[in-house]
Amino acid sequence: MFPGIDGFHWTLGHVLFLSLFFAVVLTILVTVASAAWRTSRDFHSHRAIDLWWRSQFAELPVSDRRCRHELAGRVLSRTCDNAFDCRHCEKYSQFAVLPATGNVGPLGLDYADDRYYHRGHTWVKPEEDGTVSVGIDELAARLVGTPDLVSLPEVGQGLEVNQTAWRMKKNGHEIEVRAPLEGTVVGIGGPKEGWYLKIRPRLELREPATLRHLLCGPEVHGWMSRELERLQLQLHAPNTAPALADGGVLMPDLMNVVPPADWDTVLADTFLQG
Amino acid sequence: MASTVLTDARWITRGAERISLSRFLLWLSPWAVLLAVGVYAAALCLFYGLNQTNMDNRFAFGLWIFLDLGIIALGAGAFFTGFLVYILKRVELKPILNTAVVVGFICYSGAVAILMIDVGQPLRAWFTFWHPNTHSMLTEVTFCISCYLLVLSLEYIPILLRNRQLRRLPSFLVFEHQLHKLVPVLAAVGTLLSFFHQGSLGGLYGVLRGRPFAFRDGFLIWPSTFFLFILSAIASGPSFLVLIIATVEKVTGRKLVPQELYRRLAFISGVLLAIYVAVKCIDTLVWLNYTSPAAGFAPWQYYQHKGFGTPILFAEIILLGLLPAFLLTFRKTAASKPWLLTAAAMACAGVLLNRFVLTVQTLALPTLPFDDFLQYTPSWQEVASFAGVIAYGVIVYSLSYRYLPLFAAPKGRDSHVSGN
Amino acid sequence: MSARYGMVIDVDRCTGCGACMMACAAENNVPALPQATARTGLTPLLVRKVSNGNNGETRREAFIPIMCMHCEHDTPCVKVCPQQAVEVDEATGIVMQMAQRCLGCRYCMTACPYHARYFNWWDPAWPPGMEKSLNPGVAVRMRGVVEKCNLCHARLHSAKEKAAVAGKREIDPADYVPACVEACSTNAIHFGDLGDANDPVSKEAHSPQAFRLLARLGTEPKLYYKSNEAWVRALAEPNSPQASEVQRG
Repeated sequence: MFPGIDGFHWTLGHVLFLSLFFAVVLTILVTVASAAWRTSRDFHSHRAIDLWWRSQFAELPVSDRRCRHELAGRVLSRTCDNAFDCRHCEKYSQFAVLPATGNVGPLGLDYADDRYYHRGHTWVKPEEDGTVSVGIDELAARLVGTPDLVSLPEVGQGLEVNQTAWRMKKNGHEIEVRAPLEGTVVGIGGPKEGWYLKIRPRLELREPATLRHLLCGPEVHGWMSRELERLQLQLHAPNTAPALADGGVLMPDLMNVVPPADWDTVLADTFLQG
Repeated sequence: MASTVLTDARWITRGAERISLSRFLLWLSPWAVLLAVGVYAAALCLFYGLNQTNMDNRFAFGLWIFLDLGIIALGAGAFFTGFLVYILKRVELKPILNTAVVVGFICYSGAVAILMIDVGQPLRAWFTFWHPNTHSMLTEVTFCISCYLLVLSLEYIPILLRNRQLRRLPSFLVFEHQLHKLVPVLAAVGTLLSFFHQGSLGGLYGVLRGRPFAFRDGFLIWPSTFFLFILSAIASGPSFLVLIIATVEKVTGRKLVPQELYRRLAFISGVLLAIYVAVKCIDTLVWLNYTSPAAGFAPWQYYQHKGFGTPILFAEIILLGLLPAFLLTFRKTAASKPWLLTAAAMACAGVLLNRFVLTVQTLALPTLPFDDFLQYTPSWQEVASFAGVIAYGVIVYSLSYRYLPLFAAPKGRDSHVSGN
Repeated sequence: MSARYGMVIDVDRCTGCGACMMACAAENNVPALPQATARTGLTPLLVRKVSNGNNGETRREAFIPIMCMHCEHDTPCVKVCPQQAVEVDEATGIVMQMAQRCLGCRYCMTACPYHARYFNWWDPAWPPGMEKSLNPGVAVRMRGVVEKCNLCHARLHSAKEKAAVAGKREIDPADYVPACVEACSTNAIHFGDLGDANDPVSKEAHSPQAFRLLARLGTEPKLYYKSNEAWVRALAEPNSPQASEVQRG
């Protein structure tokens, strides 16, 4: 083991000491190697995005982790502990049957009843051919206005739910838009078309698990009004009164209208980009 | 366009309030200058050799070894906190775990850097791994410190990868997640390594048969200083963390940890310090009455030199040992912040004094009857290289504090611990 | 070959002339460094002046050459070296310093009770022309390593070679004499095999006038001193309150 050393002879001390030492080194190396191996395994099994998402979710403030059933007024207060993925939520069906009692006042924002909404402000609209179109919702659109640059994925690319589906640039800020569901990109649009991607979902549209994690119906209103509230708080400069009066209409192209705001935080909170 | 002012807001943990980049750079600049001077001094030592120091054939170890032993003892808070949190499941200490790891990493990497300058032929350092002398305490120290620095680096990585920009890369975040799951293994290994090398650092001097001032009897192959160093290191480690966190709170003007945590750290520190003082007393009595006379040295000889009389022994054991142990343990004094910080500082000073006595006084004292008590003043290169290490520590900690969630509560940004 | 090389130095005979130091430096290629001080110089052999501490008529002075004592038991420097750069040669009892393995941590220097170990603080250098007089049998030590007396190991080596050429297993004792022993003008340094009870040096080491420095540390040094003066013999004990003055060759 120790070649080239004059007069080196093994003693019991050497054996004990060196075996202890190398056991320690081995433990350290095995630990790192196993962390690296688990990381690569997570990537191969597409769990990486999920882990990433869950870790981001864990850092959200409690106020941003409200359960959809609370947003719809089915329960008084409930915090999501499933990273917004109701497909794995055991309590989902238990609450889903309760009547929605949410307040439906005017919002000044349009949302459609035939669309499903992801918490990263994308919508999903099922099409007749079994695909879905995906776009950004009214709140996000008014925020960004016309993006300076949009880089969309290529047709044929697979997407995982919550993965970055496409990127946009506005005033030097990079925006990552979360994919609302998993599937394959079958068509690309843009801001002009009103939709950005056409996706063939991995599961049939008829399957309840395809869209169950997305907000729909009365939940959307509750969620949108809270998001609007958050935005209002974030957009007024520290020493001024809120710029958007309650019940007012969100102005289009906000990023150009209110330039001095902390856009990094606003965009990160809106698009859940971590 | 958005403002063109240079900003690093994208790198700061979301929701954390930090001073502006320019003010931060202003804070860093004096430390950066100090670091540059230190690097220059270290380069002089590496390039021209150790004649740049004031060490000599009698004072073969000097300021560097004393301070290395000192900061490694104070850095023990890292492994001990990890041990308490992961092995003994004292989860209430979790909020300070990240700071403990960063402080430990700074202490150990700084000490290793100084050791690399301190040896005459740094490029031969790997020889120890190839033909080790297993009877040498220094072998144990080399093995354990290099391994433990590796462990501390690995514990630091998950904290580093939690930076706002780094975590956006899924591979980093998943690696962080997986590594974090294995951190208890690292904490266990780190505890084992730390116990051994803190002890071996004490053994370093305790085995010196030729220096009866330092030589101690012991248990099997370990002199009593082996156990005393472990005890004093884990006693002072929490106190040092108290000082660091209080300083950071003072500098940043933020409340970082609950007052209760201070009390808990102080209590741990105080109890361990009391045990240490008791063991140290027994050890000193045995040494004065048996060990030293057996080697032919009358103990009074050690304390007849100016500035190194018995008051130093009193200061080490009573003034900076027993007294802070009481102050840290008693509910009343531990509840008052000024008393708590004074006591913590005294505990750290006591351990530093112990390291000073063992390293410097041992070498200053004569052994041959016709030898003199020697004085030694470190050269500016020695002082500057060490000041550079302190500057390095401040810079690394400042950067970590600014860009990493050091005091993050375990879940959610808006938990009761704010300030990030 | 199995010897226990050691010395007996007759302190009463030593005049403090320093010839041994010069011979040692020349034999072992010890560099001449003008910038070195008493505390940083390389003196594998150092003659020190000691006195009985009195002044006036009753003052007595003596010279004590200090070098590696080649401790036999629990050798302090051997035990502490992290990379086996110091070893006691089983065959000769000589404590060997392998400069090529030393990393210069100086732990051995703090371990040595006799301060007989020296660090190369500077690159080795000689006045112009003097490098031509270097001993070709001894390697020059580089900056940053520790060195000390190895009882002129190069001389032992050539004695062994000579014996091997002659087809003998044992060396002729006359062929192996350290430079300091050879150079001493008053014949104060006696060198021999302490393991051989018939060796005159071995007998001398057991005489009542012989003593060893710091013998109670228990390291069994193989360097003996001898004196008829009681106050000199008292120097063996660390407690003797003798005044000290360091004398360099």
